[in-house]
Amino acid sequence: MEQQVENRIKLQKERGSRLSRIGKRLKREKELWAINIFALGWVFVFAYMPMYGIIYSFFDYFPGKSLSESKFVGLKYYQEFFSLPDVWLIIRNTLVISTLGLTIGFVAPIILALLINEIRSRSFKKIIQTITYLPHFVSWIVVASLIFTMFGSEGVVNDVLIRLGILDEPFQLLGRGEYFWALLTSANLWKGIGWSSIIYIAAIAGVDQELYQAGAVDGLGRFGMAWHITLPGIRPTVLLLFILGIGTLLNAGFEQQLLLGTPTTREYHEVIDTYVYRYGIQLGRYSFATAVGLMSSILGLALVLITNKISKKMTGMSIV
Amino acid sequence: MKAAYVKNSVGGRIFDLFNVVTLVLLAFVMLYPFWNQLIISFNVGIDTSRGGLYFWPREFTLDNYVYMFNKGGLGKGALISVLRVVVGTVTTLFCSGLLAYITTVRWYSGRRFTRFVFLITMYFSGGLVPTYLLMNQLNLVETFTIYWLPGLFSAYYMLLISSYMYNLPDALSESARMDGCGELRIYVQIIAPLCLPVFAAVAVFSAVGHWNSWFDVMLYNSSGNWDTLQVYLRKILLDIEQISKLMNDQQQMEEMRKLTPVSIRASTTILVTLPIVAAYPFMQKYFIGGITIGAVKE
Repeated sequence: MEQQVENRIKLQKERGSRLSRIGKRLKREKELWAINIFALGWVFVFAYMPMYGIIYSFFDYFPGKSLSESKFVGLKYYQEFFSLPDVWLIIRNTLVISTLGLTIGFVAPIILALLINEIRSRSFKKIIQTITYLPHFVSWIVVASLIFTMFGSEGVVNDVLIRLGILDEPFQLLGRGEYFWALLTSANLWKGIGWSSIIYIAAIAGVDQELYQAGAVDGLGRFGMAWHITLPGIRPTVLLLFILGIGTLLNAGFEQQLLLGTPTTREYHEVIDTYVYRYGIQLGRYSFATAVGLMSSILGLALVLITNKISKKMTGMSIV
Repeated sequence: MKAAYVKNSVGGRIFDLFNVVTLVLLAFVMLYPFWNQLIISFNVGIDTSRGGLYFWPREFTLDNYVYMFNKGGLGKGALISVLRVVVGTVTTLFCSGLLAYITTVRWYSGRRFTRFVFLITMYFSGGLVPTYLLMNQLNLVETFTIYWLPGLFSAYYMLLISSYMYNLPDALSESARMDGCGELRIYVQIIAPLCLPVFAAVAVFSAVGHWNSWFDVMLYNSSGNWDTLQVYLRKILLDIEQISKLMNDQQQMEEMRKLTPVSIRASTTILVTLPIVAAYPFMQKYFIGGITIGAVKE
């Protein structure tokens, strides 16, 4: 009996002291919490409310109506996407464009980094690096404008080709679907090659210099060094970036397509993201586009997580 | 460095030549489109369309710029762009830095939770349409606020800044706290000044992002009241209404007869690109700094 009472008192004391400890803690942290509540409020509104908005995809939602007034339709819009004739076209374009980016767009910066690494003059190296990074910093609108001007019918490319007698009349590159993938891949390459090469240049700089010394002793020439020492040296970086690149397979670009694509190239430029924009915003099919967007982002997230796991296993590195 | 170890063979010399030529060509491909725009922007429009304009303006003029400033509302666009860059960068820097700060106070009980809540937003979002609908519901469309408020806190910037703050000694903030200094003051007066390199990197990221962004302008500002420079350029590029308005002006006014869409587009493109190129030497340093900070994960 006595024992129990004692225990109960002890428990109450503990509870009281725990509460007072929490109280003390809150008092000590009150300023931090005040700041934090502001941050959490913001993230709730601007990041988590849109996540809640995914629920629209299960309703026949129209703006102005509340969700309770809208009709619940379940997976109707998810099924509708796959019954549309466009769907394979869009998936094809998405995969083709990102695969081109993951092959040509992936190898080119590595080659550039190797070439830059072979430059002997330090200042020339610096100049080349500075120039090749520049396009990364300009907007896609500027890039589109440059392309329109350079390749337009009055543009300098047509001008030169006609003067040289290679062409008889201006070549229309823009607005032709069959050239769109090439145009887009080149534009992506032009904008990104220098920037993507930075990480490889850094990796090359990290290769153990003694290996080159040892290579010289073994009679390796410059090509031998590049092939047997530099390339194996940056292999983990290359592997990591490639695996992570697979994770972004569904992100085939968005701004580029919107700016360089025209109604005549739609068959080649429409990717999942532009499709969501066209249906969701321009045509006002909110519920349908939300459903398509959600499917794409869940699949994309799964890809990122899977590729990160693979990368962790193979290279010991990951970004998630 | 390697040159010390290897004697250059004949093959090596040929390769050097090939390499230099390739890289010079590449540099040309990177730079010439900008140069081409520049000379077109300073050349009389109808003269440009005769062709043969390669490296230097033939009939120099400033009309392409004058027209865009007088008629195209370019001045207003530039003002809004600058305002967006300044307001957007300052607010996101202050707030994301503050967020980084509170998540690096080691004894703070809410720090893990807060970090987690923000990190999730890096990997998953509601997507375009729900975000668009929300902005409409919040009445943020057609306002300047939409340019900075949705970007006030960034999980990515939080990571960058906090990875830097972790390396500062705790004693700095603790001693200030003992003296009764408030958290906000510790952040502003003690921690932030020590984090200048990372703040500079984030400022550059943010400023370039704000300067270059156009999709949200187009999406949330269809009336055109808050058009930034990028969107002016886009309209000249793609908006048929805008182009035909230009053409009408051109036909009505004697002094505008010599302008062409190509020359007007060129002057606008140069104006949009100029600030980036001017700030580029500064940016390059901090951008690369930012990348290396980002590469270090705790």
